Amino acid sequence: MAILQLRGVSKSFGQGARRVDAVRDFSLEVDRGEVVALEGPSGSGKTTLLALAGALLTPTAGEIRVDGDDITKYGARARTRYRRDRVGFVFQGSNMVPFLTARENLLLVGEFGAGDRAALRRRADELLDQLDLIPVRDQVATSLSGGERQRVAIARALMRDPSLLLVDEPTASLNFELGTRVVDALLSEVHLRDKACIMVTHDDRMAQRADRLVEIRDGSVLSDRPLR
Amino acid sequence: MLALTEVRRRKLQFGFVTGVVALIAYLIIMVTGLGLGLYEAAGTALLNLNGDHLAYAANSNLSVIRSRLSDEDVAEVRSLPGAEAATPIGYVAAVIEFGPDESDTAAIIGVIPGSFAEPEVVEGRPIESPTEILVDRAWVRVAGTRVGDTLALPVGFETRDFTVAGIVDRGYFFFQPGMYVDLASWQDLVFQGEAMQKPAASLVLLQGRDLAGTRSENWRIVTKEDGFNNIEGVQAQQSTVDALRYMGLLIGAMVIGVFFYVITLQKVSLLGILKAIGAPGPYLVTQGLLQVLVVCIVGAAVAVGLALLTEATVLASDTIPINFTSGAMATSSISVVIAGVVGSLLSARQVASIDPIIAMQQQ
Repeated sequence: MAILQLRGVSKSFGQGARRVDAVRDFSLEVDRGEVVALEGPSGSGKTTLLALAGALLTPTAGEIRVDGDDITKYGARARTRYRRDRVGFVFQGSNMVPFLTARENLLLVGEFGAGDRAALRRRADELLDQLDLIPVRDQVATSLSGGERQRVAIARALMRDPSLLLVDEPTASLNFELGTRVVDALLSEVHLRDKACIMVTHDDRMAQRADRLVEIRDGSVLSDRPLR
Repeated sequence: MLALTEVRRRKLQFGFVTGVVALIAYLIIMVTGLGLGLYEAAGTALLNLNGDHLAYAANSNLSVIRSRLSDEDVAEVRSLPGAEAATPIGYVAAVIEFGPDESDTAAIIGVIPGSFAEPEVVEGRPIESPTEILVDRAWVRVAGTRVGDTLALPVGFETRDFTVAGIVDRGYFFFQPGMYVDLASWQDLVFQGEAMQKPAASLVLLQGRDLAGTRSENWRIVTKEDGFNNIEGVQAQQSTVDALRYMGLLIGAMVIGVFFYVITLQKVSLLGILKAIGAPGPYLVTQGLLQVLVVCIVGAAVAVGLALLTEATVLASDTIPINFTSGAMATSSISVVIAGVVGSLLSARQVASIDPIIAMQQQ
C-alpha cells in the first residue's frame, strides 16, 4: 500500500506571460519502507514537489494523498497538524534551532502539540542513541559538525513517528564520506521503521543508494526505475 | 519553553535590549517622579487645607498672590448660607535666613490660631502667641530648624523674631515650604507701615457644599482643587511633564518595537523552519510576546531598582523636587510593559505572516 500518492499534480507560479510551470501533471507513488531518490538539475521542480508533499504548497491541479487522505483539501490548521504529526522534514544544511542542544532540538516538536512528555524524552534518547548522537546530545546545535547536525535533523524528523519523510539535499554541505554516513543512517531508519521517504538530491552517488530513482526534468518524470 | 530558553542562552543580545528598556523605564519613572514632585511642590499645603472651597478676590484671577479680601468681604463670605464654616487665610512669600549666608524662601501663611485652617502639629505645639510660628517638615529638611529655634522674618525694613512652636507636615505652597503664623502677624508682615486700610486676608477657606461658582462684586468661590490648578504655572508644568512622559512611552514603544522587529527579521528563516515542522503560528507569536514581556518586566524592575537607588543617594538631599511613590513606579513600569507589547505587535504580525515555504527557499 502506497503511503504517498501524487496523481496528476501540477504547480504553477505567477500568471500570464510570467507564469512558470514548476510541476506538470506529475504522478508518483511511494510505498512503506521505500526510499525514492528524486534527481534532476536545478529548477527541475524537485524542491517544489517536496513542498507539495509536505503541504507547504498547494497544487494548482491534481491530488496528493498521504495514508489515503487528500491533503490538498486541508485548511491551514490541518496542514500545520499534518506537518507536525504525519510528515518529517530533513532540510538541506543545518536547520537546527541554533541555541538549543541536540536533544532539545528533538524535544522541540513536543512543544508544538499535546503529547506525553516522558514518552517524547524516551523517544529522543532512543533516536539519539540509534544515530550515534549520545556523546553530543547536550551540545548546542552551533557546536555540532555538519554530519552531526544532519543526523540530528533526521532524528528530529522521526520524533513524531511520521509515516512519510521528506528529505531535501541532505548531503549538499557534506563531503562524500560524511554524506554517505548520513544517507545510510537515513536509509537504515526508513527501512527499520517502515516509513516512506522521498530524498531530493543532485548527487548521483547518493541517489544510487536509494531503493528507487526518479529523474525529473521541467517538472515531469523523465525516468522511474528501481535500484534494488 | 522555547522563548525563555532563547533569552537564557542569548544573554548578550537580550541583556542589551533589557538594558535599553530599563533606561527608558528609568527615564519615565524619573519624569513621573518629577511631575509628582513638582505637583506637590506647587501647593500640597493648599490641597491639604482642611476645607472644600476657597474664596478669592474677584479681581485676582484666582491668584493667591494677587487676592486681597477686606473685612467686609470675609464677613460676607462667612455668612453665606451654604458655608458651614469659614476662616480667613493670608499668604506672603518671605526670605528667611537660617545660617550664616544661608537663606531660603518660605510661604508664610496666616491663620487664626485654633481655626480649622491651622494645620495639625506633628511635633511641638500649636501657635499660642503672635510671635510664634509653625514650620513645615519640608523647611526642616532644608534648614534643620527645630522646635524652640528662632526665625527672623522680614517686617518692612526690619525683621521680627518668631519662635518655632511646632512642626507640621503639610508640604509646599508655591514651591516654598509652608510656615504658619497668626493672621494678625501675617498682616504685619505684609502691610507693615502702610497707611491705608490693611486687607483682612488673601483667601477665605470654607467648609460646605455647592459653594463653587458663588460670587459677588468683590469675591468669588471655587473648589480647593480649582484653586490649586490656578496656581501660577501648575497647569503648564503638569502638561509639560505629561507630554514628556507620553513622549517617553511613545519612544519606548518604538524603540522596543524596532528592536524586536530586527530580532524577528534575523530569525525569519528559523521561524519558517519551525512552521514547516509543525509549529502553529499562534505558538510562535505567543513565544515572541513572552520574550517581550520578560524583557520589559525585567527592564522595568531594573529601572525601579535604579530609581530607588537614585532616591537613596542623589535625591536624599531633598533639593530636587522628584518624588517616587510605589503607585507612580508601578504605573510607570506597567506603562512601559504595555508600550513594549504594543510596540512589538508589528513583530507579532511579521511572525504570523511568515510562510513556512521559506524553509525550502533558504537553502
